[in-house]
Amino acid sequence: MTAHPHPSNISGRFKAHFDLNNQEFSLAGSVRPQTIDELAPSLGLLKESIESVRGVLYINVRRLAQMNNTAFHAFSRVIIDACRVRPDLRFVVITSSVVGWTTRKFGRLSKIEPGITVEEYDSEFYPGQSFLEEGGFIPILRTQTKMTWRHERSILPRHGMRPGIVMADICCGIGDFAVLVQKEFEPSRIVALDHSKSSLAYARNVASEFDITGIEYTYGDASEMLLDDDQFDLVTCRHSLQIFNRPAQILKELFRICKPGGRVYITNEKNSHCLGEPRGESIRWTYNEVAKLFEHFDMDVELGPKSRRYLADAGFDDIRVESFMVTNLDGDPKDFADMIAAWEDVYAGDMAVKRGDSGEFIKQFRQGFKDHISAALHPKGYAGWPIWAASGQKPL
Amino acid sequence: MPTKDANAEPSFRTMIQVDMEIASFLSNWAHCDYISSYLARTISHNRPDSVLFSNLFSSALNELLEVTFRTRHSGGALECRLSRLGETDRIELTFACSKEEHAFLEAAVARVQGADRQARYLSSLSGDVAPSRDMMLLELTVNYNATLRLEEVDADTVTIVVDLPLGGLAN
Repeated sequence: MTAHPHPSNISGRFKAHFDLNNQEFSLAGSVRPQTIDELAPSLGLLKESIESVRGVLYINVRRLAQMNNTAFHAFSRVIIDACRVRPDLRFVVITSSVVGWTTRKFGRLSKIEPGITVEEYDSEFYPGQSFLEEGGFIPILRTQTKMTWRHERSILPRHGMRPGIVMADICCGIGDFAVLVQKEFEPSRIVALDHSKSSLAYARNVASEFDITGIEYTYGDASEMLLDDDQFDLVTCRHSLQIFNRPAQILKELFRICKPGGRVYITNEKNSHCLGEPRGESIRWTYNEVAKLFEHFDMDVELGPKSRRYLADAGFDDIRVESFMVTNLDGDPKDFADMIAAWEDVYAGDMAVKRGDSGEFIKQFRQGFKDHISAALHPKGYAGWPIWAASGQKPL
Repeated sequence: MPTKDANAEPSFRTMIQVDMEIASFLSNWAHCDYISSYLARTISHNRPDSVLFSNLFSSALNELLEVTFRTRHSGGALECRLSRLGETDRIELTFACSKEEHAFLEAAVARVQGADRQARYLSSLSGDVAPSRDMMLLELTVNYNATLRLEEVDADTVTIVVDLPLGGLAN
């Protein structure tokens, strides 16, 4: 593996890297040189990369935010020339639609040399989460936000929320939290980012119908955001670290975009601690199994109490952690019951089936959800869903 | 901040204008990057996907500023004005330049409207070692669907007017 951070006036903003194992040459950052000479080390690395691979060279530009024509021309020329002297070699340029110009611009190269192809990789971001992003799950996400908001509206000011701040809501989903925050706290700017195009379309539609302005719904990958460093007074990321397979990587990005002195606020669950009475034993068994089921798909829905460690490891100071329990006594118990019914559909339906669970297991698994619903609706019952809210300050 | 409302088409609404002495602008190549990044971010907030818009707009504006940076100037100021009509954002770059440069820009802007622009762009990409200023302007029409025109402000001052239809884009 070789990396060439750039010298001179474009240093620090641009990186070229070659990974021989994956036969992948990657460019990341922003590169706008005045002359080609400034690119000499990276162009040299590309030429070396071409010489050392067989069959195919992947050119990864997913994190290449900006490249002026001077640089584009120079890199293109090396690739085009290589196509002519190495007809045995194919070039596959990997782009992301998050960076608006790359697919179209690099796509021109395939018109010059058929050995160059371009592939957009967005749909591969987080396939495991597709269970939770189907259209049918949207009503339940709204209900969940409504129930957690009753608690979070009083919790958030202890974690840096105040009027006039610039904030980002990363993994905003259908955007309802951002709308509630805007109404309640009136930040001066909210950037709301998610990698689900259908969720963003829903959020934009809601904003348009209800004439909500001032929330910027933005498409992007939370682990590789195009947002600049040190921009936000508060960065929120709710119920999301627990469903990423790389929570530390996401936190690193949240840390990066947060202003020094600003805070990053995260909420996560510990699903095995969902509870209810009566039929507590059956409910406990099912939610223990929920945790194992998510683990099978590389998601850690037990992350809540680990928030303190994650924030500390990411470099945050002044870490604050608190927990709250959403229960059937918050508002309408039917909302709580509807939420559990939706969980049952997705967890015991799609996910357990995908894992290959037996009919007998699924029957018992479903029973715990049904018992949780009964507890929620029972006149003397109690049903709970615990959540951990935590935040840390980025050092000044 | 001077305005040129008397000359502006009434339907385009001015959002922001940056004026700089040409000598200051030319003192640092990075000004192209700073100005394009700052202005793109500033006008992006009410677009459907602000980050996507800002990324694309900054790319296009930076190329125009780089073309301006490489133009031989005869002193004076650089005005960079951004205005909007619906989903189209207009960039107007006004600066003083020599007669030769004026003639060059006029010819270049006329060429980029040609039907063969895509073929010319591909030919430049596969043939030239470094992109010419012509090619930089051409690229705006090929990759950003921009329309360009040149206006003469007075005998030695021109305005490059570029309309970019990027406002409706969203992922």
